[in-house]
Amino acid sequence: MEIRLNRSELVAELVPMQGIVERRTTIPVLSHLLLRAEDDQLKIAATDLEVSLTSSCGGEVKEDGAIAIQAKKLLEIMRAGAGEDVTLRIDQEGMLTILVGQSHFKIRGLPAEDFPSLPAIDAEQATTIPFPTFRGMVGKVAFAISSEESRFQLSGALMKMGEDQLTLVATDGHRLALVDSEIQGLEDSEGVLVPRKALHELQRFDGDDLEFRKGEHHLSFSVGRRQLICRILEGTFPDYERVIAKDNDKTAQCSKAELSGVVQRVSLLTGDRARAVKVALAEEGLEFSATNPDLGEAREELACEASGGTLAIGLNPDYMQQWLSAVETDQVQLQFKDENSQCVAYPVDGDDQRYVCVIMPIRL
Amino acid sequence: MPEIRLLDDRLVSKIAAGEVVERPASVVKELVENSLDAGAGDVRVELAAGGKRRIFVRDDGKGMGADDALLAFDRHATSKIADFDDLERVATLGFRGEALASIASVSRVELRTARDAGDGNLVRIEGGHVRKAEPISHPRGTSIEIGSLFFNVPARRKFLKQPATELRRCVEVMQGYALAHPGTRFSLMHEDRTLLETVPSASGDQDLEGPDIPGLKERITQVFGRELATKLHEIPTDFVGDEEAISGFVGDASTTRGRRLFLYVNRRLVRDRMLLARFYRSVRDVWRSEDFPALFLFLEVLPERVDVNVHPQKAEVRFRDLRFVDRVEEALRATLDLARAEGEAPLGTPRSLPDLPAAWEGLGGRQRVDGNVHHESDEVASTGREYDTNWRPGSPEAYAPPDRGAEVGPPLPAGSTIGSIARPTFEPIRRGDSPLAGRGKRLTPFRIVGQYKGSLILLEGHDGLYLVDQHAAHERLLYEQLRRGMAAQASASQRLLEPVLLELAPAEALRLQQLTPSLEHSGFEVRSMSGTTVALTSVPEGLSADRAERILHNLATAEDLGGSESAGDGDESGETTDDRSDETSAAVRWVRRRLLEEIAADMSCKAAIKIHRPLAQEEMETLISDLFACSQPYACPHGRPTVLHMSDTEMERRFGRRG
Repeated sequence: MEIRLNRSELVAELVPMQGIVERRTTIPVLSHLLLRAEDDQLKIAATDLEVSLTSSCGGEVKEDGAIAIQAKKLLEIMRAGAGEDVTLRIDQEGMLTILVGQSHFKIRGLPAEDFPSLPAIDAEQATTIPFPTFRGMVGKVAFAISSEESRFQLSGALMKMGEDQLTLVATDGHRLALVDSEIQGLEDSEGVLVPRKALHELQRFDGDDLEFRKGEHHLSFSVGRRQLICRILEGTFPDYERVIAKDNDKTAQCSKAELSGVVQRVSLLTGDRARAVKVALAEEGLEFSATNPDLGEAREELACEASGGTLAIGLNPDYMQQWLSAVETDQVQLQFKDENSQCVAYPVDGDDQRYVCVIMPIRL
Repeated sequence: MPEIRLLDDRLVSKIAAGEVVERPASVVKELVENSLDAGAGDVRVELAAGGKRRIFVRDDGKGMGADDALLAFDRHATSKIADFDDLERVATLGFRGEALASIASVSRVELRTARDAGDGNLVRIEGGHVRKAEPISHPRGTSIEIGSLFFNVPARRKFLKQPATELRRCVEVMQGYALAHPGTRFSLMHEDRTLLETVPSASGDQDLEGPDIPGLKERITQVFGRELATKLHEIPTDFVGDEEAISGFVGDASTTRGRRLFLYVNRRLVRDRMLLARFYRSVRDVWRSEDFPALFLFLEVLPERVDVNVHPQKAEVRFRDLRFVDRVEEALRATLDLARAEGEAPLGTPRSLPDLPAAWEGLGGRQRVDGNVHHESDEVASTGREYDTNWRPGSPEAYAPPDRGAEVGPPLPAGSTIGSIARPTFEPIRRGDSPLAGRGKRLTPFRIVGQYKGSLILLEGHDGLYLVDQHAAHERLLYEQLRRGMAAQASASQRLLEPVLLELAPAEALRLQQLTPSLEHSGFEVRSMSGTTVALTSVPEGLSADRAERILHNLATAEDLGGSESAGDGDESGETTDDRSDETSAAVRWVRRRLLEEIAADMSCKAAIKIHRPLAQEEMETLISDLFACSQPYACPHGRPTVLHMSDTEMERRFGRRG
């Protein structure tokens, strides 16, 4: 193998690969990237067996060939390299020679055959989705994905297409975030569970269009030259429409920035263990309070448009803050029923068809 | 007059009864075994007051004639063996001829039996005396009713627990037999409530033609629910031969939460310590784990090759061929390997980290095996990992860095000493004597010699040198503080968006129902759903649903809550309030302790001072005296040692000053 290419272009493709490769793994080849020179380009692939990423970088191929090279070291060398001209060459079995600027590296690699074969998506047609819209939607629900590996059906977000509409839903069992956006040309189809890592990596991509394909067990997301393939999470996602309470009759509408400030200040005095803020709804507005048996207590009132009656409920301030930082509007509305029922929160006059966060209460 | 005299027969019977009949569950066991030995295809058990008031067992077995019905109650009367040779190859569950005689001597028994429908006999016995024997009409089979157990042995009756507890033990016995006999219908009713109902498997009972694997699996599904059944891995068929068969199932890593270990030898449920020890050892070796998965092990050997007559309740067995146990272990290892390989981490992520105490890992500038030369940065990485207590065995998450930046930062420059333990503390060490309180407020003169590499505190004691891991010590300290604080307040409870459903065995569901009030006090909310499914609707704040589920499973299957063995007043119908409150408060304490351990261990580790941190003399003094005021100063909450001791004797020996 021998190929000449541009260092900056290569670095740009190597960076997103780092998020995919396993750093601590018992299978050495998973910390490697597969490099393959053919068709006037260097094809690059990374995988952790769940999520895979492929990309390419144009170059001048003198001889076809392939090798697996440690991802981190390759990026370090390319970052540090002086000069834009890079040559990758295999002079000797299992060794990659890298010429960059005046430097000469010989890096031990693993045979390309050892690299896991990536799943092929045998899907008929791709669905095109405007990527900036998609990325924005991911940002609005990603915080609610569970980090508990054992509840694996919650360690991803549900992606569901409807008639001219795309829905993303995520939950960790304590709260749920859902966003609906209008996207012309989509057709009704069954929802799929996309793993957290895939969504996380996708958020770093740039491009205008996302081509989405669904295979039997895998999903493919293509943006420009990059293609991310992930396994579909198995499992039943909760019936999210049922969770979004429609009969919450007590409401409070207030400024997002003010609410976020109050919650941040009051939560300074929540207990170390029990992260709960007491929210009391009265006619004139909301009162937030927190007590820490070791430290003391905090209390702050927030004037807002309230209606429907009074109540007091315990909520996790982190759940509120994470949602508030994803909200783009100035005003938000909180809806309550009683202290045992979920709080349902909406942005007021948002661009999305629907953006909602459901937070289950804490009994104090 | 001689002081030694022969005991009269009735007294002998009562004493002997204690060996076989301990509680209602042992009666149920003996009677169900009799039914199975009689070839029953349908065994129905009814209980009242946990079996203390009434135990009724009815089967469709071969029944007994008039003479046998009476003879059956004589000691050592049995139809199951005839001579010594038979004892050598017992194929039936019972054989000593003790059970009925023992039971009859301590209760009121009414036996109805018939070899052919209609032509039956009734025998009524009270405390060992035959009160009535007459012909009656009865369908083929035997019904036996045991009333007022231990009515004439008040001492024994006092040791019975409250009905719910006795009932649970009976259910466990029934579950045990139901699992091993998939061709037989079992049902268990308690005061008009059906607790267990199994239907015979379609594949039929193939008594001697090797194990009926699909039937057994179906039976497991009936008793424990479908979820568990899908997580079981079958022991490979390589271990089934003509003269012996090792078959059954081992669960995957997600089945470790409930302690479901069932061992059968020729369909007899045993708790053989040797077999269990082999299983534990296999799990430790193959999985590198201290969490043991579900096990359903069915061993079939020729009756003459196994001695079941070594334990009064036949809980232990002895194999003539000692290497048989080795073959069992081999089968278990092979299956554990399968159960692991097909688990969540398909390519063998290591299940546990090497057993290195945190503080020691960095001390020698240990290099990692992958030959990375920047060992300073390695130390940072390795110690960082050591404090990551979110790590769980078998969790692939453990190996993924929590949040990867889009870019990989530059490598640490060579010679960087961030976090390196190799940095010496050159400040001259001030040496002062400070008597420190030891455990139990006993003052033990310790002198702080100083701090070693910002990580260990060295103490001079009267009998040698003590090394204290400052992180572990502080962790222990915070843990006990937290535990005290948390015990004082009620737990906040996070409601779940969707209930988590737990599939339990009948006995486990009963146990949880019993504990519901104490669970609520600790922040759990559970609701019984249909059958034996329990819905978890709220969890204590700060506890993940996953861990909450694990605690509940452990609780449901825990053998003992650690409560004192309290005595009832022996009244058939009720318990003293003491009994009940004792067991309940033991449960409350147990639940709270488990919770506190889980949460506090986590939090204290995060908050504790790390190694590589120089401490002032005063800080060390406070830490050490606080540590030794702890209830358990010698281990951190994760079980690692806080203190190492090198005795003067040991040092003298090493310096060659003594032999």
